[in-house]
Amino acid sequence: MFKIEILMKKGYKNSHGEHILSDICGIGIKNITKVEYSPLYVIDGDISSVETETIAAELLSDKITETYTVNSCSQTNCGQSLPSKPAINNSMNCIVEVWYKKGVTDTVSGSVVKAVKDLGISKKIEVKTGHKYYLHGKISQTILNKIVIKLLANTLIQEYKIK
Amino acid sequence: MKSAVNCKIIEILNLSDNQLIKLSRNNVLSLSIEEMREIQKYFEKLKINPTDIEIETIAQAWSEHCKHKTLTGIIEYTEYADVQTKRTYNNLLKETIFKATVELNKKWCLSVFKDNAGVIEFDSKNGVAFKVETHNHPSALEPYGGSATGIGGAIRDILGVGLGAKPLANTDVFCFGDPNTKAYKIPEGMHHPKRIAKSVVSGVRDYGNRMGIPTVNGAVYFDDGYMANPLVYCGTMGIIPKNKIEKKVNSEDLILVVGGRTGRDGIHGATFSSIQLDQESDVSAVQIGNPIIEKKVLDAMLKARDLNLYRAVTDCGAGGLSSAVGELGEKTGVVVYLDKVPLKYSGLSPWEIWISEAQERMVFVVPPKNKNRIVEIFEKENVEAVFIGKFTRDKKLTLKYNNDVIASMDMEFLHNGVPKPTRYAVYKIKEEKLQKPVKMSVGEISKALKALLSDLNICSKEWIIRQYDHEVQGQTVVKPLQGNNIGISGPGDAAVIFPYTVIKGTKKGIVLSNGLNPQYGKINTYKMAASVIEESLRNAAAVGADIEKVAVLDNFCWGNPNKPEILGSLVRAANACYDMSKAFDIPFISGKDSLNNEYSIGGKKYSIPPALLISAVGVIEDVSKTVTMPLKNKDNKIFLIGITRNELGGSVFAKINNIKDGVVPDVYPKESKDIMKKIYRAINKNLIESCHDCSEGGFAVAVSEMAFAAGKGVVINTDAVKTEDVSMSPAEILFSESNGRFIVEVKHKNEFKFQEIFKGAVFAEVGYVGDNENIVFESKKNKIKVKENAENLLKIWQSTLNW
Repeated sequence: MFKIEILMKKGYKNSHGEHILSDICGIGIKNITKVEYSPLYVIDGDISSVETETIAAELLSDKITETYTVNSCSQTNCGQSLPSKPAINNSMNCIVEVWYKKGVTDTVSGSVVKAVKDLGISKKIEVKTGHKYYLHGKISQTILNKIVIKLLANTLIQEYKIK
Repeated sequence: MKSAVNCKIIEILNLSDNQLIKLSRNNVLSLSIEEMREIQKYFEKLKINPTDIEIETIAQAWSEHCKHKTLTGIIEYTEYADVQTKRTYNNLLKETIFKATVELNKKWCLSVFKDNAGVIEFDSKNGVAFKVETHNHPSALEPYGGSATGIGGAIRDILGVGLGAKPLANTDVFCFGDPNTKAYKIPEGMHHPKRIAKSVVSGVRDYGNRMGIPTVNGAVYFDDGYMANPLVYCGTMGIIPKNKIEKKVNSEDLILVVGGRTGRDGIHGATFSSIQLDQESDVSAVQIGNPIIEKKVLDAMLKARDLNLYRAVTDCGAGGLSSAVGELGEKTGVVVYLDKVPLKYSGLSPWEIWISEAQERMVFVVPPKNKNRIVEIFEKENVEAVFIGKFTRDKKLTLKYNNDVIASMDMEFLHNGVPKPTRYAVYKIKEEKLQKPVKMSVGEISKALKALLSDLNICSKEWIIRQYDHEVQGQTVVKPLQGNNIGISGPGDAAVIFPYTVIKGTKKGIVLSNGLNPQYGKINTYKMAASVIEESLRNAAAVGADIEKVAVLDNFCWGNPNKPEILGSLVRAANACYDMSKAFDIPFISGKDSLNNEYSIGGKKYSIPPALLISAVGVIEDVSKTVTMPLKNKDNKIFLIGITRNELGGSVFAKINNIKDGVVPDVYPKESKDIMKKIYRAINKNLIESCHDCSEGGFAVAVSEMAFAAGKGVVINTDAVKTEDVSMSPAEILFSESNGRFIVEVKHKNEFKFQEIFKGAVFAEVGYVGDNENIVFESKKNKIKVKENAENLLKIWQSTLNW
């Protein structure tokens, strides 16, 4: 099982992150200075790390503006592993991952499965997609929970993990 | 015979009334005690207990969402005015809205109130199909998924009308709570209105844009009454060959299910939409959309349609397969093998497969001889297509799972067995008093004008509109925002689609517009309904539509119909629909109602302010004649057509200035229809340069919009405005929201011909297009002169909703 994270290259605008930041300011929370967003994919199945690299490079990331990390993981730690290199800044305070709850239709994953086949990798795989947010700034746990529940995750269909 | 393959027998025969109610509640069936008793009686006759899937099927077929029990049930209505009047409706819908359509009997209405959408004639070979639906409850819980599947469903309605229409444009109308509400005021478990608004817009954007269908017309209305229960109306218009409008189902035809796989998504959506929202609303009622699958279905099915490979099609909406297959097989009977339905994952019980509202699924009726060819076409587009059963002759619904019969019921009972409820409705007509004369200084009028332009319900919706692709397919000729360039624009009255890529060589266009005003409904639902019907027509007329060729759709969103006052206000609105339809000679061709828009906070129940959305669709003979709203050239004359009455009741001006009294704008069909017809004639003779209707905010707002959309100035003499009551103050003239009024710009050389056409109507020359950027309102009589800069007003209009 592999976990792929897509990161924005240095110097490019992380526009989804900026949207989230403006939403956070919009609900009256001042202390967050920067938000970075990364899409996450977990690929499960009889698949090699070389093939996963190909999927990340050719399918899931934009070579010009994005880079990616691929980490091997097990069933238990897949949703939890921290990135080997935190992106860009070291004033970062917390990381939030958001995943669909079991049974909720994940349409992007369906498209990934189909596209992987089109890439010529014919092994049977399963894909889960998630979202990762790097929040920079000093905030309390209560405020953080508020941000997550009000803006980042809909707990009806998604679950989240805070680092 | 009834073996238990994941299928339970439900004890119903020996239950008491209390136990029946409990059974209905515990299984989210949303069935009343009368209905439960009827079901009990049916199975008593058979001397057998039903299976879970049989009970679920009945609950779906009898749900408010599928059967519209309130509007088609018996209503005992009492009205209190000077005298008390009583009336019994055996079927409100048939005795008001539908009745008007039948009486008008328009030959150009090709399909009304019977299919997934209404169809009117476009030209000798084609029809235009239009449908608007609501998706309120799912959008309250998961705004993104809810609104995305809302537009997805509206598109599928168009694919499922007749043998399928090709979608050309989408419309969307939303009602949200105040986005500036402080976070702590939001009840536990509900999303903030701003989050709902943003996510709903993203949902419609992502689905519509990915389908390659432009979103061209809409409206957004903010009111605190929609805080925990937003309204999401989605509509789609499409074009359909006239010879593809009729469906047919023969015995022995096969049932083909096409598109998405079935999962646990949206179980109990139909019955769920019939109950009220609270904190513990059902999780599995959430649906997630996948536009990519729907796009593939669209492409493949139109190919199959043109090869005549199927006899009927419908979409899986509320109630899933149970509703879609049940309706198609109503006259013949049907047998379905549920184990053949393709699933997203294993572990679903047969009843879950049968009623799941998983998205992007269509059901086709295929003659056996075309079996292989049709599947080939879908496979080529990578669309899953699987035969799951066939139509029979026994007039029974038979469901099988691994060859075991798990349900067997009479179609007659399923479709016509629902007992007619009797509901009570009352309405007290409130007397509307004229407000105290509104005297305002120059400064106060300036301030009011700016406050109006920046009001949430008048301000620019550009932030939303620009997220939608309103240009894809390249046929949008009159656009939602109109003006000099991307930064300088005003709100268009209606959208016009020129379907030249679908119908080669045509000169005709299709106009789409809408009317919505819940604020009026808080005071008088009759006037609200009349006003929004008139507004939708006025919007269409303003771009150059011939209202003799316009049809309308109704969408009622109301609170709990078990409360007599709420149902009474609905009866009044439905009566207004009948009266206006007859008076304007405008048929209703389709409609939908969403009742039970009620939510509870801390144990207290709140109903939404009643909202009637009227969506108009019409055919324009020559698209090259259409006009837009920005002013065109300096020195051109400005005319205000129609009478300005002292009607500030329910107006945005009254809300802002906290004016409690006031008369809600009424509709004068004879006067207003005559004006619309004259506008059409003048536009067709190229006598009108620009045209805009007066609605929320009144004359001053409408003139300002025309000016700043063009980066031009305008000089208006308010003394020249024709009023009913000579004592109206300048502020009342400027901000009254009287219906039936248009502002038009006319060249000097066309003035004579223009006046000729408008002989007999009330109109006046009220000003001219200025040569600088000043917007001026002057009353010499009252010694008042308001002067504002166009660019400044534009900025005010644009800055409110700029997230």
